[in-house]
Amino acid sequence: MKQLVILAVALLLSTGARGDGITVQKIAGDVRVRQGVTEVWNTVTTGDALRPHDTIRTGPDGTAVLVVHVEASGATKRVALPARVIVDMSDIRDLSQEDLMLKLAMEKVRASSDQWKNDGLHLPNAAVVHGEDRAAGPPAKENDGQVGQLLLNGVRVLFDNGFYATTVLRVLEVFRMYPAFSAHFDNRLLLAQAMERANLKGEALAEYGAMSHLEGLTLSQSRLVDARLEALRADRR
Amino acid sequence: MLSCTMVTMHPVPTSAQSLIDARALGLGAYFPLVRDSREFSANPAGLVNIRDWDLSLTTYINPGTASPGFVFHGMTLGKRFFGDEALALRYAPGSSIRFVIPPVLSLGDASTPQSNDREIAYDEQFAVAYAHRFLPGLSAGIGARLRREEVTDTRYQIVIRDTLSYPTATHATFTDHAWLLDASVMWQPFPALTVSAAGRNLVWWRTGDAGSPLADYALPTTPVAEAGFAYAPDARFLISGELATTGTGGAGVEWLVPFGLAVRGGVRWDTRVAPAFDAISFGIGWSYEFFAVDAGYLKYIDRQRHNGSSTVSTFDPALLTDLDIHPYALDRVALSARAVFGSTRQSLARIEEVTVFGSIYPASSEILAYKPVGAVRVRNISARPINARASLFVERFMDTPTESPATYIVPGAAADIPLMAVFNEQVKKLTALSVREGDVSVSASPAESYDDRSQTRLVIMGRNAWDGDSRTLRFFVTPDDPAVLRYSRDVLLEHGDSLRNVAGMLERFAKARVLINSFAGRLLYINDPKLTADYVQYPAETLQLRGGDCDDFTVCFAALLSSIGLSTAFVDVVPPGHPDNSHIFMLCDTGVEPRYGASIADNPKRYVVRRNAAGVETLWLPLETTVAARGFDEAWTAGAQEYFDDVEVGLGLVKGWVHIVDVN
Repeated sequence: MKQLVILAVALLLSTGARGDGITVQKIAGDVRVRQGVTEVWNTVTTGDALRPHDTIRTGPDGTAVLVVHVEASGATKRVALPARVIVDMSDIRDLSQEDLMLKLAMEKVRASSDQWKNDGLHLPNAAVVHGEDRAAGPPAKENDGQVGQLLLNGVRVLFDNGFYATTVLRVLEVFRMYPAFSAHFDNRLLLAQAMERANLKGEALAEYGAMSHLEGLTLSQSRLVDARLEALRADRR
Repeated sequence: MLSCTMVTMHPVPTSAQSLIDARALGLGAYFPLVRDSREFSANPAGLVNIRDWDLSLTTYINPGTASPGFVFHGMTLGKRFFGDEALALRYAPGSSIRFVIPPVLSLGDASTPQSNDREIAYDEQFAVAYAHRFLPGLSAGIGARLRREEVTDTRYQIVIRDTLSYPTATHATFTDHAWLLDASVMWQPFPALTVSAAGRNLVWWRTGDAGSPLADYALPTTPVAEAGFAYAPDARFLISGELATTGTGGAGVEWLVPFGLAVRGGVRWDTRVAPAFDAISFGIGWSYEFFAVDAGYLKYIDRQRHNGSSTVSTFDPALLTDLDIHPYALDRVALSARAVFGSTRQSLARIEEVTVFGSIYPASSEILAYKPVGAVRVRNISARPINARASLFVERFMDTPTESPATYIVPGAAADIPLMAVFNEQVKKLTALSVREGDVSVSASPAESYDDRSQTRLVIMGRNAWDGDSRTLRFFVTPDDPAVLRYSRDVLLEHGDSLRNVAGMLERFAKARVLINSFAGRLLYINDPKLTADYVQYPAETLQLRGGDCDDFTVCFAALLSSIGLSTAFVDVVPPGHPDNSHIFMLCDTGVEPRYGASIADNPKRYVVRRNAAGVETLWLPLETTVAARGFDEAWTAGAQEYFDDVEVGLGLVKGWVHIVDVN
């Protein structure tokens, strides 16, 4: 009973936090939906209402059009999903500048814990724990890069539809899960441009600065980065 | 005819009122500075400042006389009682003056040849005083002195009988005793300033030989008023001054140099004689803890008058308003020693208020060693800056009083000193709420013993009580509890074969799965008992009872997972506007790097990327412990859903209504 109450409250809160409704207006080909934290992809049909914790995936030949009804403004927005994308419904929303900044801060400090900092109780820690199991079994499998590409494709959809804040957050998450993608110029450029559009000038400047050190940049890529760096620096002045 | 008109004083004076003690002698103006048994009869009100038992002894010599030698002057004994009362006695055999008028021999007719000499003695050997403190800084006292006046006539007569004539001497003694009552008040408007006023001879009772020669030499009993002040602009320097209606007065300074040493100087004046500038004084002293020794030197300016004798025609008893300082006295060097005995002493600090911030929760009592359990407001009631420490002691639950760090307090100021508490293991055996007396003590340097004590009531909750703060819930997590260790190892041993085939990186994840699955179908959600505080079971209790609520399960699983080396964290959810629906579940560190996330779940919403204690980003599993009875996967799914809804969708973490508390 208590779990039901908790879930109901959580849903109430999540709905209240977003307030937007998403409906599947049109689909073609292979389009599936995964609900919440389950691992099963279900089929979806036109007219289905999607919830914030749902994730939609289009196959190689699949496309979809979502209609987002923004409750606060009463506006309606269409989001077209091309083939080979994965998009979380919770990302189809505008985050406030403050929420984005806080989320980013927490990205940097992932271990953001409410550890009691001022209780003065800092027990000595031996720090070194011996006892590694040398008889450990086979290695684990790495994340599938194809899934990562689908996620990145979905991030581009977010960017193209103006959801810059969630674009930033999602790109960073993909980089964490699929580190190899962070070495690609286009992916980094997506992140930097999303930061600029999300009005994170300082972060964008840092990102362009880091991009300038990427290996194998072409001349045009270098010029693009330098131009953006100059523009952002001028903007700060 | 042989005549002698000199009055000789033997031995030379001493005193009654104010300059017996060597410190007083060196300062010149001691009246406003009485704070112990020394010179208490000068200002009885100052007695309230003595510590407990207070004893002083004084001896003196008169340098420059024909045969100087140390004379025992007297001793005083004071006692403070009931905190604000004090009583003192003085026995001073050296406080006496004796004048001798040498014989005048007349050879007259043979039938009545006679002559005589005369000895006049005054002393005040006994004094008693009582003082009471009405308010901090305001006290009053009364004192009585027993004065004796005695005249002895020695009559010589030549007896002529037939052919034989011979001298005879007869003595006629006339004695008068008088009790003289004094009163004084002392007020300290602020720590640096003390003012005092006294009335002497306010009441007197005289008994003795009336109509005798005493009438010619009676000392005055006229009431005298006296006022004085002492001002200490600095903790190491003070000045004092006093003035009496008799026209006498004095001023002095004292400078406290390091190592307990003091240097003093003063002047005395008497407007009844010329020159009025009468004497100068010097002194040194040394004190340590409860012991002090002083030396003082009083030197008179007018050598003609202060030579130990006078003429009959100029001798005036009315000038002897003070048996110590008077126009016929000689120079004097005094040595004094003072000691304080007893269990109490001069308080430097006083407790004004004790505040306890809240109840004691045994589970998290360790933090009270650093986080104040309360505070005590302490006022510096001394004239010097102090370093005050407060300590708290709760019998049975503490082995020794826990002392707080020293707090610097300037004279007269008050400061709130935090009270810390280091409890022993007994407090964790307390099964129900208990109200205990807590002894609060304050000591101030350089003292070693307590300056003040107080008691306060402490509410100590039962060992299972929890204050509802998720930050203190971690103190219930006991991974080293034998029952927890035994359970986790038994379960892992039971599933040893399946665990051996798990990929190394997934070992922790697999162990967590096995451990929580062991509760499947064997755990029951049961609400807390109705109590004054939230009730949390220790892991061993939950393992034994096989039931509990969300905090019990979360604590139990956190302990079990910690006992096999997994880091855990609490996720405390307090929905905005719905605090009654607050909930707690947990995160468990799998140790798996984010790029291997697919090894444990295809849906990244099922885990959380966090840095662990080593600063490495790893995957943490949200676990809803209340559904652990349905197995690990159910607990994981529910926990992941809650986390995603509350943190990712609801933004609870950035908005502050979700808190993550690392347990390890």
